[in-house]
Amino acid sequence: MLKIDQLVSGYGTVQILNGANMKVDNQSIVALLGGNGTGKSTILKATSGLIRAWKGSIEFDGEQIHNLPPHEIVGRGLVQVTQGKDVFPAMSVTENLRLGGFILKTKKQLNDNLEKVFNYFPRLNERKDQLAATLSGGELQMLCIGRGLMSNPKMIMLDEPSAALAPQIVLDIFKNINRIRKDGLTVLIVEQNVRMALLLADYGYVIKDGVINVEGDSKKLMYDESVKESYLGGTKVNVQ
Amino acid sequence: MFNKLRIGKRGENIIFSVFVLIYIAWCVSSPDMNIESLKSVLTIGLSVGIIYGLVALGISLIYTGLDVVNFSHGEFFMIGAFAGLTMFNVLGDQEWIFNVFPDAYGWIIYVVCLFTAFVSMGLFGVFIERVFLRPLTKKGGGYTVAGMGIIICGFGLSVVLINVAYLIWNPVAKPFPAELGLPMEIGGLFLPITYIWMIVVGLGVAAGLWFFLNKTKMGLGIRAVAFSKDVSNLVGINVPLYISIIFGIACAIAGIGGTLVGPTYQVVVFMGYIILMKAFAAAVVGGFGNLPGAIVGGFTVGIFETASSFYISGSHKDLYAFLLMIVVLMIKPTGFFGTQVKMKA
Repeated sequence: MLKIDQLVSGYGTVQILNGANMKVDNQSIVALLGGNGTGKSTILKATSGLIRAWKGSIEFDGEQIHNLPPHEIVGRGLVQVTQGKDVFPAMSVTENLRLGGFILKTKKQLNDNLEKVFNYFPRLNERKDQLAATLSGGELQMLCIGRGLMSNPKMIMLDEPSAALAPQIVLDIFKNINRIRKDGLTVLIVEQNVRMALLLADYGYVIKDGVINVEGDSKKLMYDESVKESYLGGTKVNVQ
Repeated sequence: MFNKLRIGKRGENIIFSVFVLIYIAWCVSSPDMNIESLKSVLTIGLSVGIIYGLVALGISLIYTGLDVVNFSHGEFFMIGAFAGLTMFNVLGDQEWIFNVFPDAYGWIIYVVCLFTAFVSMGLFGVFIERVFLRPLTKKGGGYTVAGMGIIICGFGLSVVLINVAYLIWNPVAKPFPAELGLPMEIGGLFLPITYIWMIVVGLGVAAGLWFFLNKTKMGLGIRAVAFSKDVSNLVGINVPLYISIIFGIACAIAGIGGTLVGPTYQVVVFMGYIILMKAFAAAVVGGFGNLPGAIVGGFTVGIFETASSFYISGSHKDLYAFLLMIVVLMIKPTGFFGTQVKMKA
């Protein structure tokens, strides 16, 4: 589905990514892990076109996308879901969702997708006329994911969906992400909550200093001592 | 428009109300004060105010959308007036319209001029944005980063546009002899009917803009781009295109404003400068970047200015708008509607 090959990129003159390679298969959940400042978000930004790839290539659905402007990448079905704080606070929940479906052509598609999102997140339906600024942190994250789903994407990329949320809400959101995958979407998830991400994902990448350092099956990564100690905070990951 | 949550400070409002009461008392104590003069002051004040409001609307729209203050906006107002006047001269006498609608002839011609100003200034605005402002953002970061360069460029653009207009239309003030019917009597004064027409069309344009921004898909996109370029990109909005649209709409509204004042005053190359300054005062009074605030600020400045020159002293007419701006900035720096949105938690 998504293939990132020798990607080099950064901000201004500062190079962050030094040739990262990644592959995301169709209808899978892939976790991208790593500490602060290792280039996780930079990969997402380069993939969704917010920053240019300096070198290397990004291929989505058999098509080179690293030279396209962001709105055309969205049009091809690759959507980045931002962190919960990146909503439009002075707009209502419904308006935020309608913005997510901005590229849709007909009103019917828009209403169908609204129904679909409210089906995933009934809380949003209860609050659909409220201003987004009045939502709680968990609801904001739901709103962001819902907004990403509005445009009928083939693949969504989630930027730290669990950041600053209560464990119960994180669980709820991760359940929904799993449901989204079951409905046929591909998911790339960037996380700092390593345990949750690896439990959910099929495959994992650990990034360090702008290159993919370790990769493998998520169950294997979870027990990999070197990964644990080097990149995942050095503590033992408890599973059940 | 973008900021709906209001954080008011009661102290500010009380002090401001005291100022307003003192001002009203001053006006009432004037020997010229009576119902008749009040009527004409309100008519003139509102009609002048809506023009300030329309230009302020454009300044606020560009400020929210592009994060820069456009100091050449008065020139779009002036060129808009010339565009309307040129169309008026090109049309000349259209006998067939006169034969079909003998009563509404002048109005039809005038509406065509307004429409011409609207469309031509919209396209001209897009042209200016694409050719002169967009290249300044090439180093990356968009308008937000290139801010100061764009503001200086706006000053330069203002000088250039005035001089281009000078070459084309020469500096003589030109009448705009639209045939809009006889003057009417309001409060003992005979005022041109265009005063009422200005208020009606101006409010119509403002209402149309409100409808466009709040009820259409493109308007939704414009509000999104105004709030955040990055998030707008991620939901699939073509941000560079929308920035051009925002600039074009702001200039088109200024153009309508220019053609609206044409028949009442005269069309002259230097009319943009003072309007820009007054519109600036209006935008600050209403709350910078707030669109309903721009219109309310325009009305406030217009009425304050007219009332002051009527009841206090007519020899310092241009002073009052800025006096009001200074008082508002001292007491209530956010303006009437200027607010912040706070995220919960």
